[in-house]
Amino acid sequence: MNQTIVSYLSKYEFYKTLLGLFGGNESLLAFVIYLIVALIIIGFCATVGGLGTFAERKISADLQARIGPNRVGPYGLLQMLADGIKLITKEDIMPYAADKFLFYLAPLLALVGVFATLAVFPWSSGFAMSDLNVGVFYLVAISSLVGLAVFLGGYSSNSKWSMLGGMRGASQIISYEIPVTLSILAIVLLAGGMGFGTIVAQQKGLPFNWFIFHNPFTFIAFFVFFTGALAETNRAPFDLPEAESELVSGYNTEYTGMRFGFFALAEYIEVFVVSGVAVALFLGGSNLPVNIEVDFLPLQFVEVIIFVTKAALLYYVVIWIRWTLPRLRVDQLMSICWKYLTPIAIFNLVGCAIWMVAFNGKSLAELIFGH
Amino acid sequence: MFVQILFGLSALLTVGCAIALAATKNIMHSCVFLLGTLLGVAGLYATLGADFVATAQIMVYVGGVVILMLFAVMLTGGKDFVSKAQNLLGLAPTMGNKWTYSLAGLVSLVFILTNVKLISSIVKTAPAKTFTNEMPSTVSQLGHLLIKDHVLAFELSSVLLLGALIGAAIIARPKKNQ
Repeated sequence: MNQTIVSYLSKYEFYKTLLGLFGGNESLLAFVIYLIVALIIIGFCATVGGLGTFAERKISADLQARIGPNRVGPYGLLQMLADGIKLITKEDIMPYAADKFLFYLAPLLALVGVFATLAVFPWSSGFAMSDLNVGVFYLVAISSLVGLAVFLGGYSSNSKWSMLGGMRGASQIISYEIPVTLSILAIVLLAGGMGFGTIVAQQKGLPFNWFIFHNPFTFIAFFVFFTGALAETNRAPFDLPEAESELVSGYNTEYTGMRFGFFALAEYIEVFVVSGVAVALFLGGSNLPVNIEVDFLPLQFVEVIIFVTKAALLYYVVIWIRWTLPRLRVDQLMSICWKYLTPIAIFNLVGCAIWMVAFNGKSLAELIFGH
Repeated sequence: MFVQILFGLSALLTVGCAIALAATKNIMHSCVFLLGTLLGVAGLYATLGADFVATAQIMVYVGGVVILMLFAVMLTGGKDFVSKAQNLLGLAPTMGNKWTYSLAGLVSLVFILTNVKLISSIVKTAPAKTFTNEMPSTVSQLGHLLIKDHVLAFELSSVLLLGALIGAAIIARPKKNQ
């Protein structure tokens, strides 16, 4: 039985009042609840994407001893709105020899791929829109649409820079899926389930209960996952698909206006999604630091705040890495994936399996403190 | 009702994209329509309560097969790369004519009739599918079946896949004396 936000809310009294308002039509009420929650999540994530561009510019300025955007609004906070208005009002240029159908489709596919992952995003123990039993698997599967979008965007532009960027993007995303998925598999092995609810519920309490500190193998797996996830989101030092020193701007060179905006927005939201997944799998997710068994609705909001704060901290690390490390070469990129990350990830998986058998699934902290 | 509407939309996506796939002449567009069809089939699985199969469908076909197809289209040389091979009728294999069309039509007719004959007994006896808002989970059942009842088939297919993997690595490996 998959838990959803509707089945979570149906525990409370006000659900029955709402059901009465809808004349007892459960399907309609479920549809309305899903619609409202989807609108809230998409609105929130679009804001996160916009704030991501702002944070990127501010933090990069900070790291380079500059000030960054500071003219529009307080601390330049409204800069993202100005950027958005600029992108919307720009002329939408279609290259003469472009494949029009695919050219229009690619940015939409990128956004669809990212927004579809939000369906299983574990905001809190109850507010996950749908806590599928195959949650992580679904997330890994549906996010491959972004790779396809990058590839199609590069192909349909009919430009050599775009083509090279698209090819690089597709091969990079396919390659790095392997270490990322193997690292996730190690956690699935520990948690005994693929649903985010199952995984997060087992990391209750203080940080030594988090899966990253469960055993030495998961500690390594976190860094493998994080490196692979950086590459999958095309972030520096793995931003070869849009390497501006070689490929102008890579797969999105020919895109203008809001179509370019869609690609950029998809990238920034995907970074947030990846940070959130890392938090849910390794860093305790939305759990409170204390064990409270009371089911109390406002606590869910506290959990959401905890989750978003953790994800935002990882978001900062991602930006920090981008402005610290130089870009890799293509051959280095591939050798890191196939010669280092993949063998390490397989080693971790086997190590986790042996640990589960040898110590009966106890974490390192449980073995030391013995509780 | 909600799930029924989703089922209808998925079916519409599947059939619509399949027709567009066959109708378009651009092979890249065909690949993208195939993606739509496969996503629609995943939606059908999901609305019928097979969540794991739906996700596996997305994972394998959208993430793997369609991207591989696009790569294959890119890496083969377009119209300069016409095959000279001929089939039994003395025709180039990719070209359609009245012979191939009628042969394919006959084969698909036989195929459909056999399938209808096979399925009809199941459809007649099985209870009608009721749609609910509850989404059942099939992961643990599938896992138990794979590891207990069908473990031999499971292991054999994994050996087959390993063989394919090693074969691909050997074919792609650079020759030593070149």
